[in-house]
Amino acid sequence: MSLLVAEGISVSFGGVKAVQDVSFSINEGEVFSIVGPNGAGKTTIFNLISRIYNTTGGRLFFDGVDITRVPAHSIAHLGIARTFQNTELFDRETVLKNLLIGAHIHRTSNVLSDLFFLPGVRRQELAFRKAAEDVIDLLDLRSYRDQVIANLPYGVRKMVEIARALCLKPRLLLLDEPSSGLNPEETEDLSFWLEDIVEDLGITVAMVEHDMKLVGQASDRVLAMADGKVIALGTPAEVQTHPEVLRAYLGD
Amino acid sequence: MRYLKKTRYLQDINLFKHNGQRFWYGLLLLVMCLAPLGLDRFLLGELSLVYIYAIAGVGLMLLVGYSGQVSLGHAAFLAIGAYAHAYFLNLGWPFPLSLFTSMLLTGLIGGLVAIPVLRMSGIYLAVATLAFAVIVEQTLTHWESVTGGFRGMLVPKPEFFSADLNAYIPFYYLCGGVLILVMLAGLNLLRSPTGRAMVAVRDSETSAQSMGINLARTKSTAFAISAGFTGLAGGLFAHKIGYLAPDAFTLLTSIQLLLMVVVGGLGSMHGVIYGAIFIGLLPSGIAVFRDAVPPSIGQIPGLEPGVFGLILVLFLIYEPLGIYGRWQKIRLYFEEFPLYRRSTYKRQKTYLRTERLR
Ligand SMILES: Nc1ncnc2c1ncn2[C@@H]1O[C@H](COP(=O)(O)OP(=O)(O)OP(=O)(O)O)[C@@H](O)[C@H]1O
Ligand SMILES: [Mg+2]
Repeated sequence: MSLLVAEGISVSFGGVKAVQDVSFSINEGEVFSIVGPNGAGKTTIFNLISRIYNTTGGRLFFDGVDITRVPAHSIAHLGIARTFQNTELFDRETVLKNLLIGAHIHRTSNVLSDLFFLPGVRRQELAFRKAAEDVIDLLDLRSYRDQVIANLPYGVRKMVEIARALCLKPRLLLLDEPSSGLNPEETEDLSFWLEDIVEDLGITVAMVEHDMKLVGQASDRVLAMADGKVIALGTPAEVQTHPEVLRAYLGD
Repeated sequence: MRYLKKTRYLQDINLFKHNGQRFWYGLLLLVMCLAPLGLDRFLLGELSLVYIYAIAGVGLMLLVGYSGQVSLGHAAFLAIGAYAHAYFLNLGWPFPLSLFTSMLLTGLIGGLVAIPVLRMSGIYLAVATLAFAVIVEQTLTHWESVTGGFRGMLVPKPEFFSADLNAYIPFYYLCGGVLILVMLAGLNLLRSPTGRAMVAVRDSETSAQSMGINLARTKSTAFAISAGFTGLAGGLFAHKIGYLAPDAFTLLTSIQLLLMVVVGGLGSMHGVIYGAIFIGLLPSGIAVFRDAVPPSIGQIPGLEPGVFGLILVLFLIYEPLGIYGRWQKIRLYFEEFPLYRRSTYKRQKTYLRTERLR
């Protein structure tokens, strides 16, 4: 079954047609990768799905619900979490605090109960903390728990961002270049974690990725883009040998 | 560095992290309670004023330090709280009801003001809040039937169960008690989802939104709570000055409040206290300075605003973490002496593979 469906979505910035009439669907339980040269419009697709930008044409459906015009903050509540290409963490807070913010959509407390820190809020905090610790264990972030983001190396920040997204307990996880800034060993760890995320947590993953080895290993299907348009869609092997794709990467 | 071995999740959730903290805060509370024994009338009055500033400071800190929204108009909320409280008292309302209602009213106005204003950020937001303060100041001067206009309005003496709270010792305890409650409420917010949403909005709006945080709601909540606490401070301030006139709530007051949170250290509740002490003592300091230097310098008319502005700018440039940040560095220096590394607090720069941003 398709979890996310994009029907001919487009957007342009000034004169730049960043995404033109792109259609695809992501199946529940798969790893779906988007590849393409710089400026192809990959990140823009994620920004359209997470409603940071408005589509100028086409429609988006998540789990059968039309999300083309829902406000950006509702996307997380529907079950879509994401990471950012250059990381967008809450830099002045600790790793733990970042993860707790990830759990925000699960809050049942309100401003008043928070002001008085009623027993319900305390129970909720303990539950959030346990959930965050599970993610910390999963991604091996124990030693960074109490460190402030601004002091962490880039590779760790990338992992913290994935951890924060997992704290939302999403159904669909959008990862924008998860391996950029990671060294080869970290990238290998990442491919194992991806497996865990998909198989153990049952989360569907869509990722933008430049590392073709990782794409080949981890993904079920690949979408290749260039200049805002789809040029190929299929299994990793099919896409990697597709003549259009080779041309887009190597140039004429 | 100090290392704290944590054994339970509750240690991060509870207000006090370990027994040492419990001891020091207990001691502080004891000193607060015993202060009237050792201080004369004047000093006790000054200390009450520091508490009042700190109450407003908690409000402003939540807005500026934790939500990242600048306000150059907080004198307006102080004024609304003060005038509302005096007005209700004049109607014959009991003291606690009047104070509480003034707080709610100011909070409500703060939340409403936020709705048009929160579309702006940075300097535009500062200017918008400034404009709001001007509007309030004008209203105070011209709405004579309620505010008494230029003539001002007398603040009835606070009474509670026939105890005269205006006497300086009860008033001191009143301000101290309210400060502790407000401080607790602020700390509670910060350790629960509401406060975390504010921090998220401060650090990255895009990211906060993708975490399901409603920006508009979070900002207007921050404004409302901030205004509410400032209004509460305003109610107490009204008793402190005894007679309300519009010129008690000018731009200078707003800057003074902002100075408090910046000097104390943005993003720290301890900083509020340091900042409040600082701005509480500053006018006396300036007065001493006026007397010490030759009259040609000492009698310059704009000396106070000038000094306030200068200190604000100096802190923003040289010590953005404020007095609290400086204190932490000094403490670390002595703890690690002689091995202190100068670069401990230097921001590390990270280089990205793709520097191209959005
Ligand atoms: N907010 C924006 N304003 C103007 N132009 C934009 C904006 N966002 C993206 N673009 C443009 O849209 C095009 C696609 O950008 P996008 O970031 O989606 O590329 P990408 O495929 O993610 O590239 P990379 O691999 O370098 O991350 C680029 O030409 C970019 O300059
Ligand atoms: Mg990109």
